[in-house]
Amino acid sequence: MYQIIRAPLLGAVLSMSWSGALFAQEPLDVAIMAPNAIGDVGWDHEVVRGKEVLEERFGDKINVTVVDSVGEGPNAARAMNRLVANGTDLLILGSFGHMSDGLALAKRSPDLKVLHIGGYKNLPNFATFTTRHYQTSYLCGMAAGYATKNQRLGVVAAFPLPEVLGILNAYVLGAQSVNPDLKPVKVVWLNAWYDPARARSSVGSLISQGVDVVYSLFPGSPSAVAAAEEKGVYAVTTLSDNTTHAPTKHLCAGQANFGVVYADVVQSVIDGTFEGKDTFAGVAEGAMEVAGLSKDLTDEQRAAILSKQDAMREGSFDPFTGPVMNNDGSEAIASGKTLDTSEIKSMDFLVQGIDSQLQN
Amino acid sequence: MTDTIIFVLAGAFATATPLLLAAIGEVVVEKTGVMNLSVEGMMAFAAAMAFAVTYQTGNIVLGFGLVVGASVALSLIFSILVLGFSANQIISGLAVGILGLGLSGLAGRNFENLTMMAPANLLLPVLSDLPVVGPILFRQNVVTYFAFAAAFLTWWFFARTRHGRITKVVGEEPAVAHNLGFAVIRIRLFAIIFGAVMSGLGGAYASTILTPGWSDGLIAGRGWIAFALVVFGTWRPLRIAFGAYLFGALLLGDLAVQATGFSVPPQIMTSLPYIMTIVVLAAVSRNALLIRLNAPVSLGQNFRPSK
Repeated sequence: MYQIIRAPLLGAVLSMSWSGALFAQEPLDVAIMAPNAIGDVGWDHEVVRGKEVLEERFGDKINVTVVDSVGEGPNAARAMNRLVANGTDLLILGSFGHMSDGLALAKRSPDLKVLHIGGYKNLPNFATFTTRHYQTSYLCGMAAGYATKNQRLGVVAAFPLPEVLGILNAYVLGAQSVNPDLKPVKVVWLNAWYDPARARSSVGSLISQGVDVVYSLFPGSPSAVAAAEEKGVYAVTTLSDNTTHAPTKHLCAGQANFGVVYADVVQSVIDGTFEGKDTFAGVAEGAMEVAGLSKDLTDEQRAAILSKQDAMREGSFDPFTGPVMNNDGSEAIASGKTLDTSEIKSMDFLVQGIDSQLQN
Repeated sequence: MTDTIIFVLAGAFATATPLLLAAIGEVVVEKTGVMNLSVEGMMAFAAAMAFAVTYQTGNIVLGFGLVVGASVALSLIFSILVLGFSANQIISGLAVGILGLGLSGLAGRNFENLTMMAPANLLLPVLSDLPVVGPILFRQNVVTYFAFAAAFLTWWFFARTRHGRITKVVGEEPAVAHNLGFAVIRIRLFAIIFGAVMSGLGGAYASTILTPGWSDGLIAGRGWIAFALVVFGTWRPLRIAFGAYLFGALLLGDLAVQATGFSVPPQIMTSLPYIMTIVVLAAVSRNALLIRLNAPVSLGQNFRPSK
């Protein structure tokens, strides 16, 4: 309902602030659209933080505009049309839900270039990218394996989608790689991208099962991390370093750097080599890294985590290398085999050691 | 296993608190014949204000205090429309509710995704240390005790006091109340203000104690659940308290079952509170007399005292 009021306001602000951009010829106009309001951590924060990377690297060669709080729906199409009418050359769409409107717009406007985060459809002028969260998740899993005293890890996760399953599996594999005594990992599915109250309650629920490291996997708000701090258990999280929300109990975060990918795409637009391709960027590209490692980890433990990260960067280590067992007892990845990109993106199993069943 | 049960039974009180506060406020408003659909917006605005003030000053009492003022201000807009201009109650309520949601985004804009520590729960000597009963009943936040006390006091007010009966008459037959010499408009105004204060407290509790943090959309339909709870409890405060507790327990039951690793389709668990609501509503509706006896006759109808 909030959107009802926001739409006309947005239109007014957009038309006022960028009417000047019509006459500007030189700099490349880049617009970033984020689905929600901008916080100090989390998805929208990271989507918009890429702006700093672009401005640092390209200076006055580009002109970056940010529009936030435009979720999926008719407002998204309106905001995109407005941005294009104001001369945007490269449109960066920060929500999966922006896909169909973005595709329609890209078809209509062949001169426009679109970069869509998280989608799976491409056009010659419509590129996509996702980041390899599973890589840092493996590294944070190592940290969790080191830090747990009860040998019991818990996960609060959004939806059982392939990407999330991959992140969860890598986390458990990472923990098992350093801790052979680990008990089955407990998982609470929120079945929501955003539900701070249930995310917080889930932490209490996991603690009642003896969990002492909680992984907040895409819960949309830092409330699970804050709850872990409050209840005195370690917090691991995705997307952003959440140390401000858990000053003493922040164990590890998989920090995303979308700006690295933005910069490559902007460079390709400037060079005239833009391609409507899909990018899957990870540690090797600098798009993912571990951050906010706890002081409670020993120097050796930290070194082990960072050297694993180096191995990922060099390409000598991949978390999804067999043999890996499915938690239904069958073989998930054969010995010596490494999953390729499409297999990672369509993951449909949980590894052994996860106390949760997927519903078909 | 005991830990899981304690988690659900104790947590249900906390989860139920914002629902109960708002529902108790709404039942008083509806008992005077006014349908206030702005609960969701009031809660959201109060939640954003309470978090902003508490985060800045570190003083939760100040946060709650200012919220009471802000909610009253918002409810006065509704009162002027409905009581002053006899505007349609449903439209006015929705409009003020949307305004509240909009203001919540505005007030909370600089506080998006911030979190803070929840104040500690009340610890009572001896009682809090009792096994099982202690953690369930005697380690709750003071606002939770207030909410359940408010439900009891509201029941007592309507069932046992002269003023309570007058209030009911205003909701049943405003013309009769008017002719008996009661100030219908003034009583309705007080009820609306009371309702706003209660839903404001519910919102403030949600953003400072239950989930200490703010992000746009934090209230997430709690106002509407509270609104439904009033019907669910057939306008009877103690039933509403029971309904709120049941709803809270079901919401947590899902998380508790998942954490044990027990295999139940999560979609079923997540939808259970809503299925239960439908079942109870259907059961309640079967007994039409029960609803007719408790539902205020003039609910949703404006009253203009003839000069």
